[in-house]
Amino acid sequence: MAAPLGQYKMVLFARTTDKEILRGAQNGGIVTALLSYALDTGIIDGAVVAAPSRSKPWRGKFDPWRSEPIVAMTRDQLLSARKTGYNISPNVMMIKEATRSYGLDRVGIVGVPCQIQGVRKAQLYPIGMRGVPDKIALVIGIYCMEVFPYQSIVQIVEDHGGVKMESVEKIEIGKGNFTVVTERGRTIQIPLNETRDLEQPGCHVCLDYAATLADISTGSAGSPAGWSTVFIRTKIGDEVWKRAMQAGLFETKPIGQVEPGLGAVEKLAVEKITRNKKTLEDRDFIGTKGLRNPYITT
Amino acid sequence: MEIFTEHVNGIMIHKITIGHIHESGCTGCLAALMDNYQGIFTILDKYADLVYGLTLVDVRKIPKMDVALIEGSVCIQDKLATDEVREVRDKSSVVIAIGGCACSGNITRFDRGGQQNQPQHESFVPVSDLIDVDIFVPACAPTPEALRNVCVMTYLLLRGNDEQKALAGMYLKPLMDLARSPYGSKASFNTLMQEVINLGLCMGCGSCAAACPVRAITMEYGKPQGLRDLCVNCGACFSQCPRSFFDHELMEHHEQIMGMLKAVMQ
Amino acid sequence: MGKVVEISPTTRHEGRSKLVLQVDDEGIITVGNWISVTPVRGLEKAVLGKPMEQVPKLLSRVCGICPVAHALAAVEAIETSIGVEIPADAHTLRVILHCANRLNNHALSNIFTLPDLYIPGTDRKINLFSPEEPMRSIARRIQRIREIAQGITEIAGGEAIHPTNTRIGGMYYNITSRAKQKLTDLAKEAVDIVKTQMDFMIAVLRNFQRRDWTEIGGRQIPIPRNLGYHSEGYLATDSLYGTSSRTSVQSWDPDHLREIRPWNFYMGEVTIDLEDSTYPIGGTTAAGTVVHPKREATNAIPLYNGRPVEVGPRARMALYQGFNEKGTIGQQVARQMEYMTDVHEILNRLDTLNTSGKVLTDPIPPGDGKTLAWATTEPARGTNVHFVRVREGKVADYSMIVPTTWNFPVCSKALSGAPWQLAEVIIRGYDPCVSCATHMIVLDPDKNVVAQNLIR
Ligand code: SF4
Ligand code: SF4
Ligand code: SF4
Repeated sequence: MAAPLGQYKMVLFARTTDKEILRGAQNGGIVTALLSYALDTGIIDGAVVAAPSRSKPWRGKFDPWRSEPIVAMTRDQLLSARKTGYNISPNVMMIKEATRSYGLDRVGIVGVPCQIQGVRKAQLYPIGMRGVPDKIALVIGIYCMEVFPYQSIVQIVEDHGGVKMESVEKIEIGKGNFTVVTERGRTIQIPLNETRDLEQPGCHVCLDYAATLADISTGSAGSPAGWSTVFIRTKIGDEVWKRAMQAGLFETKPIGQVEPGLGAVEKLAVEKITRNKKTLEDRDFIGTKGLRNPYITT
Repeated sequence: MEIFTEHVNGIMIHKITIGHIHESGCTGCLAALMDNYQGIFTILDKYADLVYGLTLVDVRKIPKMDVALIEGSVCIQDKLATDEVREVRDKSSVVIAIGGCACSGNITRFDRGGQQNQPQHESFVPVSDLIDVDIFVPACAPTPEALRNVCVMTYLLLRGNDEQKALAGMYLKPLMDLARSPYGSKASFNTLMQEVINLGLCMGCGSCAAACPVRAITMEYGKPQGLRDLCVNCGACFSQCPRSFFDHELMEHHEQIMGMLKAVMQ
Repeated sequence: MGKVVEISPTTRHEGRSKLVLQVDDEGIITVGNWISVTPVRGLEKAVLGKPMEQVPKLLSRVCGICPVAHALAAVEAIETSIGVEIPADAHTLRVILHCANRLNNHALSNIFTLPDLYIPGTDRKINLFSPEEPMRSIARRIQRIREIAQGITEIAGGEAIHPTNTRIGGMYYNITSRAKQKLTDLAKEAVDIVKTQMDFMIAVLRNFQRRDWTEIGGRQIPIPRNLGYHSEGYLATDSLYGTSSRTSVQSWDPDHLREIRPWNFYMGEVTIDLEDSTYPIGGTTAAGTVVHPKREATNAIPLYNGRPVEVGPRARMALYQGFNEKGTIGQQVARQMEYMTDVHEILNRLDTLNTSGKVLTDPIPPGDGKTLAWATTEPARGTNVHFVRVREGKVADYSMIVPTTWNFPVCSKALSGAPWQLAEVIIRGYDPCVSCATHMIVLDPDKNVVAQNLIR
């Protein structure tokens, strides 16, 4: 197994200089700023991103915390898609349609590590992905420990947190806590240890934290508040990042100067990988036959 | 991996011989191969001589060949067909089942005979039910890119240097394992259900829904739902799913491998 | 006394077929039997009892080179049976798909037939896989036409091979204005390329027509002036797209359709007594082999007004545009002329497409099982008819007569009078798609039109 942080050309702290984006951003606004820049400059024609669901109402209305993929073709669409609900948004579902009825030639996509694995598998083993491999123009990964099924989010917020979904203003996962901020500004913290059971089971066999297969991956881990850590991993990632820097899109800080830094990211990555390798091993001992390991084929 | 930096063209000395065999398919698989457009000329100029394929060349008898691409399932009530696959196995070093019909029966799984002028033609089986198949390229239709990748990797496996052989071996391994697995030739939405979702492996990426060629999969609250009445048994969803097979060590080199595939097709 | 020669399998077309030919002492065909030996997948039987939504997806897979033809005929027939109208923009997308697939198929047909033809002014045949010029440029041009055609199909239809965007009641998605622009750019690029290709093909065909001989297996075979002539009729149901049993003025009458089995049309048991090992490549069937065409055939014999009819580009042009050139060359010339029709039609339809228009009808009734409906499309190879009855959302009856099924008997007749070595040149003029052709009309239990015709 590869290094927990994967291959990268460069890692740094960054935040966007785009005030409009930064205002609504969870951290340094890296993803939205990069995509919006890539759209403006024609690096991509559109991007698959998670957005609040508009297709199926929950309890009679659309719930902004339930995510669903959209193909965003304008900056406005990108901006409206920013809230992340930490629940599953099957982004890869849209990568083929983006090249069909949407007519995209250069597709951007954002995703958590397992989704990026789906994107890279679509490129290297395009079994059912005609026309997709060469049209993937920019892949942005977001660090991820785990996600929750939507119904788990509801249980955590409403049962553990005692808050109605309707009054949630912000959801955040990090530093060992599931944090809910209400419209009235109340903050409720639920330790992640308590919610482990409610995580998506498929996350427990995932061996990537830092989206090591993305062109650029980013997340809040390791960075000072309001900033993000950013890994530039591939040639495409490098080119896009350089152009964005030249355009003055980001302020950066070298990662060596500021605590907690790379060590913190690595710690989380190792923690996830170790724990999930253990899960995979344990699966061998379920029943007398064990369960299939997706990474070993015979 | 050295091989990525080496100029691949340097070592292309011997082409391989390749043939296309049409069983009970619809020629969509061959059309997919031809949909590599200008790439077809690169493959034929540099890597492979097409020695058999009734749709494209005039050769009427099956010759010896390095690689046989079989399209379509086999009708066991048609002696011509069952004899033919056997002959193909005897005469080829590598047999590749291309497309859902050859790999897992696809729509021909629904055939039940009863139609004139040969109402007894009622049973169609995937090629690997009758002969050993080395590699599977599932989906209906298979994609031009998947067929190209498998052809190039098979070429490297047969003619490459040691490092290229190693890479090609790693790339092809899961498709070889699929050809021998208990579920590869039985693929349908059920396989995704039984081997991924039911085993707690699904993480809701949506690759399966994108891959399905009949829109039989929708994502409901982040998880795949299969409309099994629409499924045609092509096997695309399962093979595309990152939780069917995924070799981290290989995938880590995605950028170099994509680059190499591009370079060899120049 | 005549002899019998067999070419098996035939090459450079879709599917698997063979030719059993009775020839006179000069080697001229007196009786030609062209039969399909592709196993019968029996898809018309396989779809019985299936939900109507799945059936067009299954039937698209009748053929991977004209999947659009079957997907469209199936949805249109089912829609006619259950009585739904689709939105105008859905129809526009379907016509675009239809034309793009025709483009692709005409280009494919060029690939199959060019190796029979000569570079004008030379005795060099055209091997498209050769890296030499002018072959390579020709081959690249054909592949570019296919790339454009498949590209348009992929965007408007979801997939280039087996479209995913068509559904009962319309389409899954309309396309974005960006996608529309892309299609327009592609079609505009195609205008010049297909014009060049059409002119080139017609020049090559006219050149072949002027030649006295063609080389086959090292010998000069004389080319008869009337190569591929037949005195049977033509059938086309529309000049461009197709029609259905819903239309009030009908361009054809299924009542005049009758289907006989191969048993009543082809030869019985014969022993091969003419063998030619020089026939490329691998020679003809060994002398002494016993064959039985009427028993081996997997195709049907549809008759219209009691006779075989030709379908395809020439039939369309003869019936709708007064085109009157006979024989294999006339047929090929007509095919090339359709290139331009298809590209211009794509551009015209794109002009009228409203990208924010609705593409799905609501609601979609389940069908009352009373109406046996039919719909036709006019794909590259000719009239494609699907008959269906839908009851409570399930398919109760299904049958299809696809282009090459129509053409098997008429082409068998057209073989007479030609040297046997040219038989494959004649069948390639029909651009056969043999996998499709193994489909037969089913007996309709309620004894209406189709059943009566079969019983008669
Ligand atoms: S897999 Fe699909 S494309 Fe290939 S032969 Fe079967 S039906 Fe045709
Ligand atoms: S591709 Fe696999 S992991 Fe992804 S949603 Fe489908 S079943 Fe789940
Ligand atoms: S669900 Fe779709 S992709 Fe999966 S086997 Fe069925 S048809 Fe193929």
